[in-house]
Amino acid sequence: MDIVNLGALEKTEANFTTFLSDLCDKLELDFATYCAVNTVSDQVIGFSTYSDGWKEHYGAQRFQNTDPTLHLPMRSIAPVDWQCLSGHEDFKKVFEHARDFNIADQGLSIPIHGPYGEIGLISVTRDCSSDTWIKLRKNVISELQTAAVTLHDTVMQSDSLGYALRRPHLSSRECEALQRTAAGKSQIDIGDILTISSRTVEVHVRFVRTKLCALTTPQAVGRAITMGFVHPK
Amino acid sequence: MIISLDGIIAHHFGPLLKQTYALRTRVFRDRLGWDVDVKDGMEMDVFDTLNPTTLVSVDASGAVVGSMRILQTTGHNMLADVFSAILQGEPAPRSPLIWEATRLCVDTDRLNATGSPRAHNSISYVTSEVMIAACEYAMEAGVTDAVAVIDPLMSRELKRSGNAPYDYLGSPTPMGKVTAMAGLLDCSVELVNRLRERSDINGDVFLSEQDAITRFSKTAVPALSSTAQTSLHTYLQEQLASAENPRELRAALWILAELELAQQS
Repeated sequence: MDIVNLGALEKTEANFTTFLSDLCDKLELDFATYCAVNTVSDQVIGFSTYSDGWKEHYGAQRFQNTDPTLHLPMRSIAPVDWQCLSGHEDFKKVFEHARDFNIADQGLSIPIHGPYGEIGLISVTRDCSSDTWIKLRKNVISELQTAAVTLHDTVMQSDSLGYALRRPHLSSRECEALQRTAAGKSQIDIGDILTISSRTVEVHVRFVRTKLCALTTPQAVGRAITMGFVHPK
Repeated sequence: MIISLDGIIAHHFGPLLKQTYALRTRVFRDRLGWDVDVKDGMEMDVFDTLNPTTLVSVDASGAVVGSMRILQTTGHNMLADVFSAILQGEPAPRSPLIWEATRLCVDTDRLNATGSPRAHNSISYVTSEVMIAACEYAMEAGVTDAVAVIDPLMSRELKRSGNAPYDYLGSPTPMGKVTAMAGLLDCSVELVNRLRERSDINGDVFLSEQDAITRFSKTAVPALSSTAQTSLHTYLQEQLASAENPRELRAALWILAELELAQQS
C-alpha cells in the first residue's frame, strides 16, 4: 500500500488538517490523524497533525503496512484504546520510533463505517498519566465519535477519495424516472409522461437502486435527494 | 458471564461463535419462523462478515445461552438494508451515537421462563445480563442510544427485565411467523443501575479478554488419528536417524518431543 496525501492533491487538505488541530485544541489532545483505506485501489489516504518529520519517517519505514493502530481498529465497531494493542510486537516497534518524535503510545482509534462499506479511522494521542487519560477519554469520546463521522463524510463527499463511489452517474432517464417516482407517480403514469413502457420505467428505477446501493426505492429516493439527483417539490 | 467478540479477537473463538449461530438457528428459524439463511445448522448472514461485535452469554457449564449482535448505524446495518420495510419509507437512522442491536436471543429451551429474575438460569437473568453488557459496551464508546430490531416476544421480555424500548420507529411489520419492530433503547448509567438492581447482577458482567481466550478459544491442534500419529512418529524417527548436522538433529529432537508431549496430554 502507498500513502496518498489527500491534501497534496486537493486544496481542501489544509481545511481537513485545521479541523484536526482544532479538535486537538478543543479536546486537549496532542495529535490527531485521519485515514481511510480505499479498498478499490488499495491505497491509504490520510492527513495528520503529526510533524512532517514523523510522517516522512513513518512512510519511509513503511509502517502503514504493519502498524496495528491502523489495521486492527478497522475491524472493530467500537473505539479501540491503544492499551489493548500494546502487546503487539509491531506496536512496540512503531512506537519505539515514535518516541523519538515526541509521540506517546497512549491514544485511541475510532473506526468509522460508511454507507458504502468503506472504513475510515481517526486516531488521537495524548501524553499524560493513565488516570488523566481515562478521565479525558470518558469526557471526549462522544464528541470524538461525532467529529470522526463528520470528517469522514466530508472527506468522502469532497471531490477526492471516493468521488466516484459517492457520485454515481445516473442517466437523465434514470433521473427523470426517479424524480417522478419521488413525486408519487405510478410507473404507468411515468411511462406515459416519458413515452416509454412502464416496464422500462421499472428497469430504470431498478438501475438507480443498484447504482445508489439501495435495496428499496424509497431508500434510493432518499439517497438521490441527498446527492442532488432528485429535487423534492 | 458475557464474552464480547469484536472483529479483532473473533478469530480466536470459532467454536463459541458456532454455538451462537446454532442458537440463532433454533430461535430465529425454528421458533420464530424468520426467513433466515442457515448453513450447516448455523444461522449467518452478510452482516456477520462485516466485523460486528457479538455479545455472547455463557452459563456456568460454558454453554451459550444468549447473544446479541451490534453494528454501527453509520455503515451497513439491518434496519437500513434489510428491515427498511419497518420504517415505512422513512430514511433509516444514521448516527455515530446510535448503534444497532440485532439477533437478540436467549436459549428459552435451556432457560427457565418462570423462575425468579435473580436465578441464573432464568430468561430474565440472561436477558438482563446481555442488556447490561450491551449498555456498558455502548457507553464506553460514547454511544447514547440503540435501535433494536426485535419481535413482540422479545419486546415483552425487555419490558419484564426493566428495559422497555422508549419508543418505536416506523410500524411493526410482518416477518415470517411474527412481527418485527424497531425499538429505541436508552444506554445510560441509570438504566444499567436499574437492570442490575432488578436482576441482582452486581459484579463485572464481562469475562476479560485473556480469561476468555484461556477458557474458550479454539484448541490449537485438532487431535490426529492414531494411524496418522504413528506415521508422523515413524517419519520423525527417520528424520532423527538421517540428521546430518547438529542443527537438523536438534530440530528433529525438538519436534519429536513436542509430538510426544501432545500425545500425553
